[in-house]
Amino acid sequence: MTLTKKDLRRLLSEYKIVVLIFVIAIIWAFFGTLTWDSDTGWSQFLTARNFSNLLRQMAITGMLASGMLFIIVAAEIDLSVGSLAGLLGGIAAVLDVWWGWPLYGTVAAVVVLGVGIGLMVGWIVAYVGIPSFIVTLGGQLAFRGAVLGITAGITIAPASAQLKFIGQGYLPGGIGDAMAVALFVLLAFLAFRSRAGRIKHNLPVSSMSMEIGKLAVIGAVIVGFVLTLNSYQGVPVPVLILLVILGIFTIVGDSTVFGRRIYAVGSNLEATRLSGVDVNMVKMLIWGLMGLMCAFAGLTTTARLAAGTPSAGFGSELDAIASCFIGGASMRGGIGTVIGALVGAVIMASLDNGMSMLGIDTFWQQITKGIILVLAVWLDIVSSGNQR
Amino acid sequence: MSEYLLEMRGITKEFNQVKAIENIDLKVRPGECVGLCGENGAGKSTLMKVLSAVYPYGTWEGSILWEGKELKAHSIVETEAAGIVIIHQELMMVPHLSVAENIFLGDELTNGFGFIDYDLMNAKATQLMNRLKMPDINVALPVLSYGGGKQQLIEIAKALNKNAKLLILDEPTSALTGTETETLLDLIKEFKSHGMACVYISHKLDEVAAIADTVTIIRDGHHIGTQPMAELDTNRIITMMVGREMKNLFPREEHEVGEVVFEAKNISVWDTTNPDRKLVDDVSFQLRAGEILGVAGLVGAGRTELACKLFGYWPGDHEGKIFLDGKEIHVKNPADAVRQGICMVPEDRKRHGIIPLMPVGYNITMSVLGRYAHNQLIDAESELAAIQHEILRMKIKTASPLLPIASLSGGNQQKAVVGKMLLPDPRVLIMDEPTRGVDVGAKYEIYKLIFELAKQGVAILMISSELPEVLGVADRVLVISEGKLTGDFPNVGLSQETVLAAAIGKPETAAA
Ligand SMILES: Nc1ncnc2c1ncn2[C@@H]1O[C@H](COP(=O)(O)OP(=O)(O)OP(=O)(O)O)[C@@H](O)[C@H]1O
Ligand SMILES: [Mg+2]
Repeated sequence: MTLTKKDLRRLLSEYKIVVLIFVIAIIWAFFGTLTWDSDTGWSQFLTARNFSNLLRQMAITGMLASGMLFIIVAAEIDLSVGSLAGLLGGIAAVLDVWWGWPLYGTVAAVVVLGVGIGLMVGWIVAYVGIPSFIVTLGGQLAFRGAVLGITAGITIAPASAQLKFIGQGYLPGGIGDAMAVALFVLLAFLAFRSRAGRIKHNLPVSSMSMEIGKLAVIGAVIVGFVLTLNSYQGVPVPVLILLVILGIFTIVGDSTVFGRRIYAVGSNLEATRLSGVDVNMVKMLIWGLMGLMCAFAGLTTTARLAAGTPSAGFGSELDAIASCFIGGASMRGGIGTVIGALVGAVIMASLDNGMSMLGIDTFWQQITKGIILVLAVWLDIVSSGNQR
Repeated sequence: MSEYLLEMRGITKEFNQVKAIENIDLKVRPGECVGLCGENGAGKSTLMKVLSAVYPYGTWEGSILWEGKELKAHSIVETEAAGIVIIHQELMMVPHLSVAENIFLGDELTNGFGFIDYDLMNAKATQLMNRLKMPDINVALPVLSYGGGKQQLIEIAKALNKNAKLLILDEPTSALTGTETETLLDLIKEFKSHGMACVYISHKLDEVAAIADTVTIIRDGHHIGTQPMAELDTNRIITMMVGREMKNLFPREEHEVGEVVFEAKNISVWDTTNPDRKLVDDVSFQLRAGEILGVAGLVGAGRTELACKLFGYWPGDHEGKIFLDGKEIHVKNPADAVRQGICMVPEDRKRHGIIPLMPVGYNITMSVLGRYAHNQLIDAESELAAIQHEILRMKIKTASPLLPIASLSGGNQQKAVVGKMLLPDPRVLIMDEPTRGVDVGAKYEIYKLIFELAKQGVAILMISSELPEVLGVADRVLVISEGKLTGDFPNVGLSQETVLAAAIGKPETAAA
């Protein structure tokens, strides 16, 4: 059997994620070679320390991208998340530094506020009927203004040690290992259960060896991931938070009523409404989730910098949106996965990290990221055969 | 020069290694009209998409000879340039552009400076509308201000404007009324006399009988036969399509009509764009358990608007009261309606029925998904079981329940949409043109289902523009003309003439 263009295309569209991981490999190999250090005989980019850094850098974008994904799948957009994360981060700093609130109080207040603001934006979009582009463009300006007002334009520092832990802490090695094992067992269990279900209902399944191969690859990735991080300082707390979000959001998207409805709303809003689904409620809740992600991102930003700054989160909505599209989400709604969006975020973070390490000017960094975004979406279009 | 304008030879087209059509031949002489018949999913639309290069050369096997030369078109632009024009089963218009802009889309008329000449375009479009006997259409208004039937005629006007040598019509009349259909058939005959050939696909076999010179029948992707219409009749076509004889088109079953379940009082509905225009004018009726109430009328009479209002879907102004079991209920939106036991199968499948990117199965369970979930988490197994049950019950033809619904044939999509609205176990079921685009066999199945539901005590409101269908299925017939109720007849010895007279607003019998 020869591999024709058609077969290749089918493979690519079925395993989009494989293509993206391949892209990451190329980027890493590229920076790995360019940052080769002949003194140590090793590349500066491909170290456990830098890997840990890179993941911590992408964690914030990743949180925003996770929430953004559902919004894009529902065929909407949110341009205000950078500002909202900044605002919530600023509020966290005020509560923590100026008012000396305990960590749980700060987190609870910021989360409640984030979800509340998200629901309000969602309510305006869904029930009042103003297009999300407009509402969130307004939000972008208003929230940024609010940050400036609250922080009085100055940096609020230093954050308490507890708050800093959220952004800068690490999990001890043992806990990381245990979680990796638990995760793998869970994934294997789910894979075999869904396979059994498909067989029972006479649906096509991939061969057993394929299934085991897939699990082996996943297992190897998890082991490699945890070992690498443990060989530095352990799994960073924000990365752990992001992984938990990934898990929960994947379940929400794949196997909950709410998730199914998000995809339905994005694919055909009116038909979904006529099926008796309360589509306005679905939209409002999506923004509630987005608000929650903004709260997490804001807290993490403040914790990472150990300070609240007026410019925190500036422009990160664009990174989040770009991550979703790089990860295979469709402009027209109805298509996209959380894992794809996060892989997209890793690609963006790798470019940032690698180019900074090489001392490339920021303007080149921006140009490159822009080009990569367009290229990635082009690749997606070609591979899915949607070319016109 | 061969005697044929078009020869398609041994056409085979696969989707994901499943052959949708296999080794099909189709020949058309200049000025000839070929009827193409077959059940839902037989491959009619697919064959025509191959011909018009919607599926470009190279994505299928076989060969196409056009005016004696091999045609290797890669896009619909090339086939249109050659003179092959297709009107698709699903409407393809830009809703916010005006009627005239849609008609001239792609070859806009310009003045000397390269700007669009709207006066000329509107004048020409108006001329075209007059020829199609639709003088009341304002060509400067956006297409979306007209209903499905009118849009279909505008689409046809657009095609006729392209000087086609071969016109392909894929179920052009599913949204048309009797008179509109006649207009269309007359028009095709006129164009035929000027040498235009056509391929006519329809599940309404009397139309095929009226217009076709030759009929080609396909079944399950295979060529069953090609015969001159003179040697055929509709029964013979049905037998060839279905593979067995069908004696009775309406499987009427006795069912008991019970108490009044649903009542609509003084329903009025106003236009969204022009709030002074009343689309439904003070309509009241009662609906009993187990009763099949047919709603007849011309397309645009306000029946769909009435249905939307009852289902909580009308965006514009409306008034009137709705009672369920004698108690007044308020239906603010479709979710409300479904919760209270009122379901609706919408008229416009593409816009309101299907969720295209989703699998057939997920479409079917959309409205009752909560049933297969514990605390939001979907139990994939019980959902799949329900899906498979529904696919069997509705006889939906699909390779897998997880195939996107958009890849099913039109009729099978319709069956899935009906199935979706049956799952919530409605007490009142509103069906707006439930058999649109559905083949004879499947129509029979849907009628059987309607009778089955009536037996179980479901109250059914069936809106249909096909009079034989209304008369063959309904227990009682409401007639609506220009928004007003002009007839309410028990369906006992009711004649088409009586209903038609009421539909044009000249009731010959006083409303009961
Ligand atoms: N894009 C696609 N992907 C996969 N299968 C397809 C696709 N398009 C059509 N099919 C399959 O090909 C078969 C023929 O479909 P087609 O639309 O040609 O039927 P049809 O004769 O026009 O039916 P109808 O009268 O219902 O419109 C069907 O089984 C359908 O599911
Ligand atoms: Mg078709």
